[in-house]
Amino acid sequence: MRIGALKTSYAADHALFDTPVQRAWLGLGAALLLAFPFVADDYWLYLACLVAIHVIATTGLNILTGFTGLVSLGHAAFMGVGAYTAALMEIRLGAPFLLNLLGGGLMAAGVGVLVGLPSLRVKGLYLAIATIAASFILHFVFQNWSTVTGGIAGLSVPPARILGIELARPAALYWVILPLAGLSVLAAANLFRTRIGRAFIAIRDRDISAEILGIPLLRYKLMSFGLSAFYAGLAGGLFAYFFRSITPESFPLVYSIFFLAAVIVGGMGTILGGILGAAFMTMVPEVLKLGVGLASPWLPNAVAILSPVRTVVFGLLIIGFLIFEPHGLAEIWRRIRRFFHLWPFRT
Amino acid sequence: MEGFDPLFFAEVTLAGLGSGALLALTGLAFVLIYKATRVVNLAIGEMLMVGAYLFFAFAAGLGLPAWGAIPLALAGGGLLGAAIERAIIRPMLGESPIAIFMVTIGLGSVLVGLVEIVWSPNPTQLPDFIGAAPVFLGEAYVSRKIAVGFAVACLVIAGFLLAFRTWRGGVALRATAADQAAAYSCGIDVPAVFCAAWALAGVAAAAAGILVGAVGGISPTMGVFGLSALVVVIVGGLDSVAGALVGGLVVGLLEAWSGTFLGGEYKIVATFSLLLAVLVVRPYGLFGTAEIERL
Amino acid sequence: MTMTPTTTRGQALTRRQTLAAGIAGAGLLAGLSPVRAQANEIVIGGSIPLTGVFAFAGVGINDGIADYVKIVNEAGGIQGRKVRYIPEDTGYKVDQSVAVFNKITGSNPVSFYYSDSTGFAKTINPELNRKNSMIMAGASFASELNNPKAYPNQFVAGPDYSEMIGVLLEYIAKTQPGARLALVNSDTEFGRDPVAATEAMAAKLKLPIAVKIVTPPTSVDVSTEVLKLRRANPDFTLFHGYILAPLPEFMSQAKQLGLKTKFMGTFWSMDNSIWARVGEPADGFMGVMPYRYYYDEAPDAPMLQKIRAMRPEYQSTAYMQGFLTAMLFCESAKRALAAGQELTAPNLKAALNTLKDFDTGGIIGVPITLSGNTIPVGRVYRYDAAAKRMIGEGDWIRLGKDAG
Repeated sequence: MRIGALKTSYAADHALFDTPVQRAWLGLGAALLLAFPFVADDYWLYLACLVAIHVIATTGLNILTGFTGLVSLGHAAFMGVGAYTAALMEIRLGAPFLLNLLGGGLMAAGVGVLVGLPSLRVKGLYLAIATIAASFILHFVFQNWSTVTGGIAGLSVPPARILGIELARPAALYWVILPLAGLSVLAAANLFRTRIGRAFIAIRDRDISAEILGIPLLRYKLMSFGLSAFYAGLAGGLFAYFFRSITPESFPLVYSIFFLAAVIVGGMGTILGGILGAAFMTMVPEVLKLGVGLASPWLPNAVAILSPVRTVVFGLLIIGFLIFEPHGLAEIWRRIRRFFHLWPFRT
Repeated sequence: MEGFDPLFFAEVTLAGLGSGALLALTGLAFVLIYKATRVVNLAIGEMLMVGAYLFFAFAAGLGLPAWGAIPLALAGGGLLGAAIERAIIRPMLGESPIAIFMVTIGLGSVLVGLVEIVWSPNPTQLPDFIGAAPVFLGEAYVSRKIAVGFAVACLVIAGFLLAFRTWRGGVALRATAADQAAAYSCGIDVPAVFCAAWALAGVAAAAAGILVGAVGGISPTMGVFGLSALVVVIVGGLDSVAGALVGGLVVGLLEAWSGTFLGGEYKIVATFSLLLAVLVVRPYGLFGTAEIERL
Repeated sequence: MTMTPTTTRGQALTRRQTLAAGIAGAGLLAGLSPVRAQANEIVIGGSIPLTGVFAFAGVGINDGIADYVKIVNEAGGIQGRKVRYIPEDTGYKVDQSVAVFNKITGSNPVSFYYSDSTGFAKTINPELNRKNSMIMAGASFASELNNPKAYPNQFVAGPDYSEMIGVLLEYIAKTQPGARLALVNSDTEFGRDPVAATEAMAAKLKLPIAVKIVTPPTSVDVSTEVLKLRRANPDFTLFHGYILAPLPEFMSQAKQLGLKTKFMGTFWSMDNSIWARVGEPADGFMGVMPYRYYYDEAPDAPMLQKIRAMRPEYQSTAYMQGFLTAMLFCESAKRALAAGQELTAPNLKAALNTLKDFDTGGIIGVPITLSGNTIPVGRVYRYDAAAKRMIGEGDWIRLGKDAG
């Protein structure tokens, strides 16, 4: 039960984490994440890294779609730009790992700004389709600019190195990917306490009003596109080092749809939603597979028989969530929090 | 290429128009739904696929002749559309358009899974119901299936255009598209219009599915065809039936020309470049309604 | 935050409770881990594409591997050790496939692994080399994998895509020297794989290439491509990168136009049941097959008899591929164990490379030898619509042996 929150300063009211309980839980969560590699096996570490990469990319898309109200279906292509840039910097220049990640992010941001250019004239679904167009054109570039991108066979990426230590396995990359994911999310959360972030929200709520309030639409929309693509590029760079092989087919349109689904299922326009959505979308197929595995003692050949059922269940889960909980997983989380805050007054 | 051959060019152009008509028919299904309910239905490709499989089931499974199987498959497609509207889209009324868009993606996954369970994931062919004798326009050769597809698509779209002008239900649909509340207060049963629009779209998608399946065979993954139709409706304008036809033909032509004179790998890039060009010049497509915003 | 209207709260809560129960149930499932292999078993893991675009093959592959494992176990296993096959679905997606790999190899002592795609084979290669405890083969026949230096722990249970085309070209050069070719490839990694090698081989065999056609993966109508084909008027048209569509439409339109070109395909577009459903237009389609068909009653094929006894209905070419892959896995384990070696990747691969003129029980029509990372043999088959069967044309062709 929480009686009330006493705040004595404006800064306290503004704080990201406002209650001691929340801070305690966060500390516990961080400790668990630190301990995780010591107890988990390769499979779970792999999934943790994948979820973390997806969290970065989803948070990026959330900045654009959830906070600025611009739908993009080119997110996977931006990731591809980041992945190719990082891989090329590694292979051609031998530049250090973290710099390559940054380079991937910046290059993706540049491309993102370019792709965002139509956003001033084009809105809603038309914009979404324009970004699909951009992603197909990028795919074409990956595939046909063979001298640079390696064409259809793609690029093989050497393992990441920091200070001479080779980070080749999920267990080692975990220590880079997870902190980066944490930093990215924290940066995004802080963004919306600044003028820029609030300008994004104003544009989402009503772009014309925002312009009248003195927010230059083009500049802020492009900034949002650039930032969002930066996140995608960073995730793409990590993707390149994580999978060690990138081809044009690594970044298909369905991957963009995957991120959009993660944003919506998690909860648009909430930082927590990006995290929950990415985790949910990555883990559901795995959890469903475990379910199929459980059936195998009773049903020989269960894997073959039940796999199409999984496709159906996956679709139904998305539909069910959106019908029953249109504000996403973040809303469920808030409801749980409120329950404990109000307990025992409202049960 | 050794010089310019007018006959060859004419044949390529006709082929482009023919495959454009298939795109137009799929685009029509998309436009019907968007016009009435403002829902962007990404599962249109999967609805098309289910329509093709229904035809397959009636024609190959039950051994019905084409004149029996086609109406049944179309009716099945219509029922599917109506059922989707009632079960999934109605509860989402008033939610954000992106959330509804996402629901249709989930729906696509469900439909693919169901088809894989019922009919197995193997690709297969539809029984031939069009015939194989080639059609010649003057000297120019046209594939018979493509010619039939073109004729059917044009007839269906013309029928819809006519229906929107004259038929009571069509006028109701247009009224709903223009202003839901005003239409409702004029005594139009708006929810019924929603349902009807989805049913009609289901019929159009099934028709497109049968034609596409007849040309290219069927498989649970044939729904990707819907993606090309997305380009068509954006070029033509999301809420314009005539736009779907024009957009379809334009995209079909462009694909045929770029595929022939540049190479197959340029087809997709060419269509999407056209799309970007159209969006820059006319942000609401060639025939779409420009939304005027006020404060 | 606005309050939920009280009238709907009751109902909403029950819905949410259902949802919560569902999530809790899913969480419970996640806590339990799948069945593990017992000690002393030889484990074959598998990333099998049972859903997604490659599902039609995954189902057959899965049955093929499972059946061969069953045969081995019923015969007492390998040196008394049972073989266990642990498959999981990947949906033909690389990230899921890697997850499956980590999961299966994390909880089982895996010695052999079946990979579902070229992308996965390339992605997992560094990890395979690091683990050095298992060898891998799979559904990919990518030419790139045929490189024992770069892919020391992988092999292809058949010819790679370039070698498949090589078999076709040798057949063409033998039956119709100087024939003009058309290449039709899908614009995917799979489709573009052998193009460069094909051009080189065709030049060597003096077979001019009249036209090269690339089709985007989403294309349905092929009228314009057929028109191009008519202009080039080739003697043979070689397809690669397709399963079925758009081949039948290509062939029926070409027939309408009176083209005399013969159509040929590669392994993944050679399944008999798929062509049987196409019917009449399929007549005369040719292609390269590294394995025999299910119904082949050749006297030197006892294994096919065994398969027919186990499964009375037709099994796909993917089934044969899975079956043979499992056979090679087990054979290399048998040889390594017979030599008293541990089951590590170098030992298993070395054991595999000792295969000289190995008899596959008739799955492949000639005794096989693993050269490089592949088995460069194949035979040209032609579909006969009246018999509803693929029928062998000429002899088995061993690349680099019988001819230049």
